[in-house]
Amino acid sequence: MRALVQLTLANTREFVRDRAALFWTFAFPLLFVLIFGLVFSRDSATQYEIGLINDDQSPQASVLVDTLEAMDVFDLSRGGLADEIASLEDGDRRAVISIPSGWGASIDAGSPMSVDIHYDETRQSTQQVVVPVILQAFESVDRTLTRSQPVVRPAFQTLQSERLSTIDFIVPGIVAFSVMNAGVFGAVNIVSLRERRVLRRLQATPVSRLTLVSADLILRMILVLAQAAILIVVARLVFDIRLNSDAGSLAALAGVVVLGGLAFLAIGFFLGSFTKTEQGFFPVAQVVTFPMMFISGVFFPIEFMPDWLRPVINVLPLTHLAEATRQLMIGGAATIPMGVAVAAMAAYLVVFVALAVRLFRWE
Amino acid sequence: MSVIEVQDLRKAYDDVKAVDGVSFSVEVGEVFGMLGPNGAGKTTTVEILEGLRPRDSGSVGVLGLDPGRDAGDLKRKIGVQLQQVSLYPRLRVAEVIELFASFYGRAGVADHLLTLLGLEERRRAFVKDLSGGQQQRLSVALAMVNDPPVIFLDEPTTGMDPQARRSLWETIEQFKAEGRTVLLTTHYMEEAERLCDRVAVMDHGRIIAMDTPEDLVRAHFAQDAIEFSQRNGLTETEFASLPAVVSASIQGDRVSMFSDDVPASMAALLQLGQERGDPIENLRLRRATLEDVFLKLTGRTLRD
Ligand SMILES: Nc1ncnc2c1ncn2[C@@H]1O[C@H](COP(=O)(O)OP(=O)(O)OP(=O)(O)O)[C@@H](O)[C@H]1O
Ligand SMILES: [Mg+2]
Repeated sequence: MRALVQLTLANTREFVRDRAALFWTFAFPLLFVLIFGLVFSRDSATQYEIGLINDDQSPQASVLVDTLEAMDVFDLSRGGLADEIASLEDGDRRAVISIPSGWGASIDAGSPMSVDIHYDETRQSTQQVVVPVILQAFESVDRTLTRSQPVVRPAFQTLQSERLSTIDFIVPGIVAFSVMNAGVFGAVNIVSLRERRVLRRLQATPVSRLTLVSADLILRMILVLAQAAILIVVARLVFDIRLNSDAGSLAALAGVVVLGGLAFLAIGFFLGSFTKTEQGFFPVAQVVTFPMMFISGVFFPIEFMPDWLRPVINVLPLTHLAEATRQLMIGGAATIPMGVAVAAMAAYLVVFVALAVRLFRWE
Repeated sequence: MSVIEVQDLRKAYDDVKAVDGVSFSVEVGEVFGMLGPNGAGKTTTVEILEGLRPRDSGSVGVLGLDPGRDAGDLKRKIGVQLQQVSLYPRLRVAEVIELFASFYGRAGVADHLLTLLGLEERRRAFVKDLSGGQQQRLSVALAMVNDPPVIFLDEPTTGMDPQARRSLWETIEQFKAEGRTVLLTTHYMEEAERLCDRVAVMDHGRIIAMDTPEDLVRAHFAQDAIEFSQRNGLTETEFASLPAVVSASIQGDRVSMFSDDVPASMAALLQLGQERGDPIENLRLRRATLEDVFLKLTGRTLRD
């Protein structure tokens, strides 16, 4: 037990004292997210696109419309309700406000009708920023129209858009992709220990292979989780990606990330047992990971792939990891059922751990 | 009581017979040396004893255990310093020692070992920043983390400066005084002469001589050596034909002659130099050493 702790500590020290390794582990995937985010995100503007439908010709309605139009943060678009709601679902509107016909008359009659505010509740920034700004506008209209009680009564109509923005789709892909890289390339540690004959020296001590490998696994799993967490938090804060943030989904996500990380680390160990040197390991790992990055549904849906390639894609480990990660992060229809994805990753883990143990060499 | 028993040990790599029928035993408290040129089979022999390499045939026992079968048990009990090794480059010296101690279920041994090996000042240094000799000392310290009764040292002083070498010699003498058994390999005959109770001279996978250093030298050279420089290009046979000369060997421009009658040989030699018009230079008399024994037995020097 003390050996495991000390070895894990040794691996951790080796890692954190290696600036280059730190950089590639954490900065590189972040760079990915930021670049994709800037390219695909429409949410970065400080103006919010708001759909406005006015079915009432009353002077009160004009005051409300004028007030909203006077606000610089809103980029108003006037259309039919159906069109605006469709745009909201597509992510092209942050909210849609609809003033019902007869609204002005209902105020005069002393029992104001409510004004609908439609928004996508899966978008955090809408809930936190856009809705409060709209409510503020409503209050100022209240003050203009009457001096006493509120007359603009909001009614929230929430929806969960079926369609995702590109960044929503890509971030889970990047999470899966960086878990794959952290796993496969994480195995280089053992290769380099072997190349530098450190393993040889360890072989002369009573420390067991299991302890040795476990210590490596512990550090790699911590890194994989930390990497995924940082990616998701940054993507959430900067690009307001969609995320199922209930505890259950997050725990399941952590589980999938660890399972995927272990499976890819096992694959890395397997590849590492064929290469003598660190220099020799990288190209082999690249050859294995690079194609998967393009065809496993990381950056675009696997439905876009040619049919003849589908059987291959369906067995690739990254396909399963990306699918599982995406389903847990943003929900939506599954191309591959969760159970199948998890089982596939577990199968990869078992098979490659067995192979890696069998092929393990001290020198 | 024997701590190490080796009978007819053999190990081949493809067509190289790295160890070709080696037998010896090492007693408790003995410092046993293996001397031999590059590729003689020293490391192969030692690593078989440490349980790091399988053997082809022969019987081997260390502390009553068979390294081929009970390697796990054996590794707990022995101390090992490997000839070629590197350690975690970004760990500090004291951290590496504690790491290795943990493999034996020990802790808190760093201070003692750092003092013993003269590394106190480098305790917070990263391994990658150590000099070659310091790394070598760390490597010896690691062989001591489990306080072993038997220690294997494969060329422990290679790369050390003379002072560090002397101080390691003192450490090894201290091990011996504590009753530990040491098996060491070396290329340095003075090291073997000073430290070893017995030495085995190895060449081409075989032990070609084995005895105490004094007896080895005495058995092969009754006399002291006449050593000098020459520029005449005379051959070993020409020197050997001088009066009373038993054998002669040339290393570069240095000639060593062994004689039954030193004054007679010396006189003939000086005369020869005179006749050739090129006086004998740097003439001195010295005792025969293991190096001479080695040269005589193999026709080669220990270090090329
Ligand atoms: N793993 C190996 N594979 C192939 N040949 C080997 C291996 N290990 C040793 N040999 C060969 O066995 C012979 C003995 O090597 P060994 O390392 O035991 O010599 P040594 O006496 O320790 O030499 P040195 O003084 O250079 O350390 C050499 O010819 C070497 O090339
Ligand atoms: Mg050697």
